[in-house]
Amino acid sequence: MTRALLLLWLLPSAVSAQSNDASEAAQHVQAGIAAEEAHQYETAVAEFRKASDLQPADATGFARLGRAYMEQHEYGQAVVALQRALQQDPELEIAHRLSGYAYLAQGYALDAIPHLEKVHELRALGIAQIQTGQVAEAVVNLQAEVKKTPNDPDLLYYLSQASEMLAQQTRTSLLGSFPESERTHQVQGQNFYALHKLSAAETEYQQALAVRPDLPGLHLELGQVYAEGAQWLKADEQYRAEVALQPGSGEAAYRLGDALLHEGKAEKALQELQRSDRLRPDMSETLYSLGKAYFAVGDAKAAETAWARVIAIERESPLAAQAHFSLAGLYRKRGNADKATSEMQEFHKLQERSSSSGPH
Amino acid sequence: MPFGRSQKELGLKNVGVLHRAFLKVASLIVHATVIAAFCLSSSSAQSVFTVSQPNGLDCILQNSPTSLKYLIETMPGGVALLDYNNDGLLDIFLVNGGRVTAPMAQPDDFDRRNPKYWNRLYRQNRDGTFTDVTEQAGLSKIADSNYGMGVAIGDYDNDGYPDIYVTNYGKNVLYHNNGNGTFTDVTEKAGVAAGGWSASAGFVDYDNDGKLDLFVTRYLDWDTAHSKSCGGEIRMYCPPGEFPPVSNILYHNRGDGTFEDVSVSSGIAAKKGHALGVAFADYDGDGFTDIFVANDVVEQFLFHNNGNGTFTEKGLDAGVALNDDGKKISGMGVVFQDYDNDGLPDIIVTELPHQLHIVFHNDGHGVFSDQSTEAGFGLLSGATSGWGVGLEDFDNDGWKDIFITQSHVIDNVETFDSSLRYLEPPLLAINKHGHFERADAGSDTPVAARGAAFGDLNNDGWMDVVTTRLGAPSQVFMNRGGKQRWLVLALRGTRSNRDGYGARVRVNGQTRFATAAGSYLSSNDKRLHFGLGMAETANVEILWPSGIHQTLNAVHCDQFLEVKEPEHP
Repeated sequence: MTRALLLLWLLPSAVSAQSNDASEAAQHVQAGIAAEEAHQYETAVAEFRKASDLQPADATGFARLGRAYMEQHEYGQAVVALQRALQQDPELEIAHRLSGYAYLAQGYALDAIPHLEKVHELRALGIAQIQTGQVAEAVVNLQAEVKKTPNDPDLLYYLSQASEMLAQQTRTSLLGSFPESERTHQVQGQNFYALHKLSAAETEYQQALAVRPDLPGLHLELGQVYAEGAQWLKADEQYRAEVALQPGSGEAAYRLGDALLHEGKAEKALQELQRSDRLRPDMSETLYSLGKAYFAVGDAKAAETAWARVIAIERESPLAAQAHFSLAGLYRKRGNADKATSEMQEFHKLQERSSSSGPH
Repeated sequence: MPFGRSQKELGLKNVGVLHRAFLKVASLIVHATVIAAFCLSSSSAQSVFTVSQPNGLDCILQNSPTSLKYLIETMPGGVALLDYNNDGLLDIFLVNGGRVTAPMAQPDDFDRRNPKYWNRLYRQNRDGTFTDVTEQAGLSKIADSNYGMGVAIGDYDNDGYPDIYVTNYGKNVLYHNNGNGTFTDVTEKAGVAAGGWSASAGFVDYDNDGKLDLFVTRYLDWDTAHSKSCGGEIRMYCPPGEFPPVSNILYHNRGDGTFEDVSVSSGIAAKKGHALGVAFADYDGDGFTDIFVANDVVEQFLFHNNGNGTFTEKGLDAGVALNDDGKKISGMGVVFQDYDNDGLPDIIVTELPHQLHIVFHNDGHGVFSDQSTEAGFGLLSGATSGWGVGLEDFDNDGWKDIFITQSHVIDNVETFDSSLRYLEPPLLAINKHGHFERADAGSDTPVAARGAAFGDLNNDGWMDVVTTRLGAPSQVFMNRGGKQRWLVLALRGTRSNRDGYGARVRVNGQTRFATAAGSYLSSNDKRLHFGLGMAETANVEILWPSGIHQTLNAVHCDQFLEVKEPEHP
C-alpha cells in the first residue's frame, strides 16, 4: 500500500522529468551535431554522451555517439556505444553498419561480418571475408561492388587479392586431393614456368601429358616452356599437337606459326598465321608475325598491309613501334628512302615516348 | 696485270706461285692430308674437329675472378694466329688478364711482372708442338697497370713481318716485329697507347694509301675505383648500361712509324657506345673499307667510309643498328664476310641469351636486312651466349660455315636464371647454301670460352680454330679434313698495304674480304682460305685496295699460293 502510494506520488514528477530530459537531450544532440560539423569530435562525443545519459533508451543517440567515437578513431568506445544502440533497437541499420566498420577497423573481421551482412555492406564485407579466409564469398561480394564502382583502385586491389587467394586455395585443394592428377601436374608446371624453372616445368607438363595426352591446353603450355628456352623444334612439336587437338584455336595456330618463323620456315609459318588471323581476327601479335612471314616469303605488299593493321590497332604501343621499324626496313629494301625515313621517325617517336614513360 | 693469263705464265712472271716457306712445309701438308683422308674414311659421321691441347700450349688465361665482380674479369682474352718468324707455320699469341684483388688497391697493379700473368707467344714447331718464346721474343715486359684484353695483327710498316697490337684495360701496346724473332715495344713512339678500357682492335687501310691504320674499340667508361655492385645480396657482373659509353679510336698511319689519332676529324669519335667487336669490309663496293662495330646493348655502328678520310655512321639507315624487331642487341663478336656467296659482305654478330646470333644480310645498295631466322639461327641460338666467331669453310664445300665460342657473361647466372648456363660448348654450324645447320664441333664439354682465331695451323688446307677459356688453357680444334679441294691465297701487296688487307678476293663464286680482324678480341690467319668442293681448278679475281684488278685463271687446287700485287694496273 505504502509502495503504491509512493508510486502515485512520484509518477507526475517522473513524467515531468522525462519531458525535461528530452528537451535537454535534444539540446545536447544539437550541440553535438554542430561540433561534428566543426570537426570538434571531442566536444561532439561529450555532447552525445550527455544526450545518451539523459535518454538511455534512444538507440539513435548511441549510434550518434558511436559515430563520433569513430571519427576520433576510438573504435573500442564506438563499439560499446553501438552495442547499446542495438540493445535498444536490434534493427537499427546505421548501428549495424557502423559496428561492422568499427570491428573491421580493429581487425575483428569475424565480429564485423554479421553486422555488414545485415546491411548488405558488400565492400567492407568482402574485405572482412578476405581476412577470415572466406575468399570465395569475398570474390562474389567484391565483384558485385566493382560492377557498381568499376574505377575504385582500392576495390580492384581487394578483388584481385581475393581472386588470387581463391585460386591459391583451389590449387592447394587440387594438389592435396589429387596429387597425381593431370591437373595437379599442369598447375605445378604453370608455377615452375612462372618462376622460370623451365626444366621442372617441362617435367610436370610431361607427367600431365602422360596421364591425359588429349587434354586441351597442355601441349600449348609445354610448347611455351620450350619456346622460352629457345627450343623451337620441341615447341613446334607441342604446338602441332595442340593444333591437332584444337584446330579452331587461334592461339595454337599463332604459336605454331611463331615457332615456324623461328625455325626459318616462313612459308609454313605464313599458313598457320593466316589461319590464326582468320580464327581470331585483329590480334596485333598475330598480325605482326604475319607481316614478318609475308616479308620473308617476298610478299612485301601483304607484309606492308599486315604491319599497317598492327599500327591501326596498337597506335602508340611498343608493338606499333616495332611495326613502324619493320615498315622502315621494307621501304628501305624497296629503295623508298623517304618512306623509310618517315617510318623511322615514327619508330623513334614511340621509342622516346615509351622510354620516358617507363620505369626509371 | 692483264686479265686471263694462265697460272704458269703468272708464275714465270711477277707472281710468286709458291712461297718458299710453304715449300718447306710441303711434306707436312702431304702427311696431314694423308691423315685427314684416313680419318674421313674411318668414319664419315665424325665431328669436323678433334679437340686438343697441343704440347707446350699450356698457358692458363688468368682472368682472376673476385667476389667484387670487377667487370674486366669476365671479358678477356684474345688469341692471334700469326707467322711471326715467316717459317710458314702459324704461331699463337695469347693475351692474358692479370691478378685482380678484392678490393683493388689504387693505383691498379695487376702483377704483370709475374710470369703467370704474361701474355704468351708460342712458336709452332714442325712436329705440331709449340714452344713458349715469350721471353726471348721480348714480350714478357708488361706494365702492371695493364689488364689484358685483345690483340690485332698487321704489318704496319710493310717490312714483311707481322706486328702485334695488344689492347688492355689500361694502356695498349704496339710491338714492332724486328724480323729476327724479337719484338720492340714502340707504343710511345707510335702514339697508340689509347687508354681506358679497349677491347677488339684491327689493322685496316681505310684511306688506301698502302699503310695499315689502326681501329681500336673501347667498351666502357669504367675503372676499378668506380666499379659498381649489381645483383643485390648475391653479386653479379653489372650490365654495361650501368656505365657511361665511350668513343672508339682511329689511328692514321703516317708511314714513319708513328700514328695520328684521327678519331675526331674522321667522325669516328662522334658516336659513343659499348664496343666489343670490330670487323672490316667494303659493304657498298665503293672501293673503301667500311667499319662495323659490335656494341653491347646499344645500337650497332656501321661507319661508312666516305673516301675522304671521314666516316658517316649509317647503322640505322643501313638496317644494322637493331634487330628486326627494332630492339637493341648485345653485340659481342662480329664477322663481316659473305655467307651466301652473293658477293656482298654480310655481318654476323654474336649475342647473349634471349636474342639470336644475328645475321645482317647485305641486300645491296647499302642496305641490310635481319635474316637470322632465315639463315637458321633461330635454331642455333637464343639460349646461349656467343663471343668469338668465324665464317670459314670448314668442310671445303665452297660455303662458309660458322664457329662460335659460347659461355654466359655472368659466372653465377644459374643463381639468377636456372634456365641459363655459365659454361657452354662451342657452336659449329655447317652452311647448306646459305642456311646453317648445327654440326658436331668435336666437343660438347661446356667451357667459359671467349676469344677465337681461325687459320690453318698444320697447313693441310683445312681450317682450324684456337679458342681461349677463362681460367683454363686454350683449346685447339684441329680440322679432321676430308676429300674436298681447297686453295689458300697469301696476298702480298705492293702498291697496297703489304698484307693486302681490304682486298676483295673472288674464287669460284665465293668472296672473301682480306682481313685478320673480326671475331672477339682476336686476330685470324691473314691467308685467305677457299673450299673448292670437287673442283680441280679455280678462277681467282682480286680487287686490291689500290684499285688494281688481278685475275688468275685455272689455278690448281690444293695449294698455298702467294699472290703478289702487280706494280702497275
